[in-house]
Amino acid sequence: MLKTESIDIEQATTHIQAQPDNKTRRYDRQLRLWAASGQAALESARLLVISASATSTSILKNLVLPGIGHFTILDPKKVTPADAGNNFFLNGHSSIGKFRAEEAVSLLRELNDSVDGIADLRNLDDILAKEDGREWIQSFSLVIAHNLDQDILDTLSQLLWENPTSPSLIVHNGALPKTYAEKQAFKANIRNLSQKLDEENFEEAEAQAFRLWSESPVPSDISATLNLPRLDQSSSTSSTAFHALLQTLRAFINSPESSGCLPLTSTLPDMKTDTESYVKLQIMYKEQAKGDNALFKTILKKEFPDLSIDEAMVDAFVKNAHHIKVLRGRRWGTWDKDPASLGPANITEEALRTEVQSLVGQGVELPEQLDDAIGEIARAPTADLPNSAAFLGGMVAQEAIKMITKQYVPVNGYCVIDLVETWTGIVGQP
Amino acid sequence: MNGSSSSSGDWHDRYYHVDQILDRPGPRTDPSFLAGDEVKDFLRNKCKILVIGAGGLGCEILANLALSGFKDIHVIDMDTIDISNLNRQFLFRQKDVGQPKAIVAAEFIMNRVPGVKVTPYYGKIQDKDDDYYLQFNLVICGLDSVEARRWINATLVNLVDPENPESLKPLIDGGTEDKKLDTDDPEHIGWLYSVALARAKEFKIEGVTWSLTQGVVKNIIPAIASTNAIIAASCCNEAFKIATSSAAYLNNYFMLIGTDAVYSYTFEHERRAECPVCGGESLDITISKEWTVDRLIEMLVEKQDIQIKKPSLASGTKHIYFQAPPQLEEATRPNLEKKVSDLIPDGGEITVTASSLPFSLSLRINYS
Repeated sequence: MLKTESIDIEQATTHIQAQPDNKTRRYDRQLRLWAASGQAALESARLLVISASATSTSILKNLVLPGIGHFTILDPKKVTPADAGNNFFLNGHSSIGKFRAEEAVSLLRELNDSVDGIADLRNLDDILAKEDGREWIQSFSLVIAHNLDQDILDTLSQLLWENPTSPSLIVHNGALPKTYAEKQAFKANIRNLSQKLDEENFEEAEAQAFRLWSESPVPSDISATLNLPRLDQSSSTSSTAFHALLQTLRAFINSPESSGCLPLTSTLPDMKTDTESYVKLQIMYKEQAKGDNALFKTILKKEFPDLSIDEAMVDAFVKNAHHIKVLRGRRWGTWDKDPASLGPANITEEALRTEVQSLVGQGVELPEQLDDAIGEIARAPTADLPNSAAFLGGMVAQEAIKMITKQYVPVNGYCVIDLVETWTGIVGQP
Repeated sequence: MNGSSSSSGDWHDRYYHVDQILDRPGPRTDPSFLAGDEVKDFLRNKCKILVIGAGGLGCEILANLALSGFKDIHVIDMDTIDISNLNRQFLFRQKDVGQPKAIVAAEFIMNRVPGVKVTPYYGKIQDKDDDYYLQFNLVICGLDSVEARRWINATLVNLVDPENPESLKPLIDGGTEDKKLDTDDPEHIGWLYSVALARAKEFKIEGVTWSLTQGVVKNIIPAIASTNAIIAASCCNEAFKIATSSAAYLNNYFMLIGTDAVYSYTFEHERRAECPVCGGESLDITISKEWTVDRLIEMLVEKQDIQIKKPSLASGTKHIYFQAPPQLEEATRPNLEKKVSDLIPDGGEITVTASSLPFSLSLRINYS
């Protein structure tokens, strides 16, 4: 089979040969979600997880199972009787007194032979205090921290913010006060066309006809992305490459040969048709996509003669030009201003209320729902409940996978979860 | 280190985290909540819970329930372990491939979480009778089949005896994106709780299948650990709240989409009066006077909200058409060609039964 273009999910999984190896068979279901490229990204990722709590090990389970390359659990603590009761990756009461990280690593590693994992019993404070410690932290592709004390979290986030090669995910529950979050209404955001199989061909054509005469061939969010100013003058190669590609895309759209459109992707939407017409259409699409790809590369060469970008990256960019998104994050803590760290003894409803009021300003009226939120935190200030740990484990792992594979769209901001009424909301988007 | 402190196998502080919830009420706790020893005694010594399915959702559910303090868990699954399960069904290992899921899962949980009893059944949910289901306080479903879901749903609905409050068994239903669904409505849930995850799903779900560029159609659903973890956790969270009354329940449908940031929608799915399972009324249908029994049967088979495959029809004591036993089928076969209007008057009733339905459906026939 000719491979003149980068492979998509369907192609990656259709030609699984008669005797696929064990790994391919094991990963079959997930390959359909993120393809071989996503899997490769996962397998080269190195994860640092700080604390071996129930939530942390839950997150890790969901990353070890799909085949993350390596993980290190950093945790100096020994297993307490309470730990032994809420963490599936400890061996019940026979783990009590042993090192949490060591117990957890061994039970996590047995989920997947291909994954490498180690326990690190050092203190995060000590590591952050030294130059080589800070370098060590930055050597990971992703850092996940659970329930760290505020001041150490601040130091860590400062370090990672200033050295952007490693993105990080922070997970918090219980010990620190949360500000009020609003319910989000459900928003349908369907990108892929999905056609009803029993819809008549004509109805379909009619419904889609508007595309012929719609005004702007370039979606507004893509236009906005193309006009983003560069944030920094960092010499990071991936950042330079990405911005070069963005500028090339803008030039592409403005060039006479493109008729103001984005490069065509060769993937046809599902449609009601006979095989012969479908194949003819597919050939036309392939031809156009090939031409657009070549035009893009010509422009790239012209605008950036000295820049050499990996061909696969250029192809992936062109192929996904319709789905480009740039997310700009913020450093942890910048939205909260400086909440004082509260120990368990201080978590009363009154103390929490005072805290919130001081954050939002004395004159601001606090909404009714806030009392519920405060009440829930005061009820169980240090609880890492098994179900909450499992829920967060799934949510955070999902975000981690999006970041590592660079597919789908990660959360930007804070995701707040209420497991009493069961809803989620995003706040603090920059 | 310290060993067990009582015959239950629990050690001191084993439930330190969970007990923060059970020792005191919160702002959204029902007044009937019995904080402290009483609720813990019910949860850990008396409550019996059934988990249906020991696959992607089932493994997660079993682990969460065990850690939450449920000590008497039953699990049913009719499948054996396949290598493609291992990327998410984390109670299974390479060496278990080919073994029954229910049995391997039960053993794993019992080894990992001391003091929990997990009783497996390797077989179909339809193998079990009403008495079996009546012994449980709660049922959680981690099923991947619409048909099975409808079956258990209908079974539990039909167990309900208004004179006996114990016969009301809450059902918590978890699901991940099912691209094979052909139904018109989201699965019938009536007044039962439901937690489901959908991706690119509207409320009227249409069947969508993967379509490869070569025109081949496949029906395999991408499945990963994190998705199952979220849904299973929500289900177990509800189970915990229901079993202990420690906080308000989900009312009653939660849908989460994680492809673009995180979007979720929580809403109250209402009971339909005309629902054939729990609506309680006869289903009114209008057909042409010319329709044959065969045509009527065809229409019933196509009806999405009933999901009958091989219906048998009767009216009072009169057999109209029966699929089984063979002698009866043969005897009633000539009726297939007859007009319904010749057999049943306008406004008359037909009782529909089927082996896939644990109840009978009442149709009121009107002629147009």
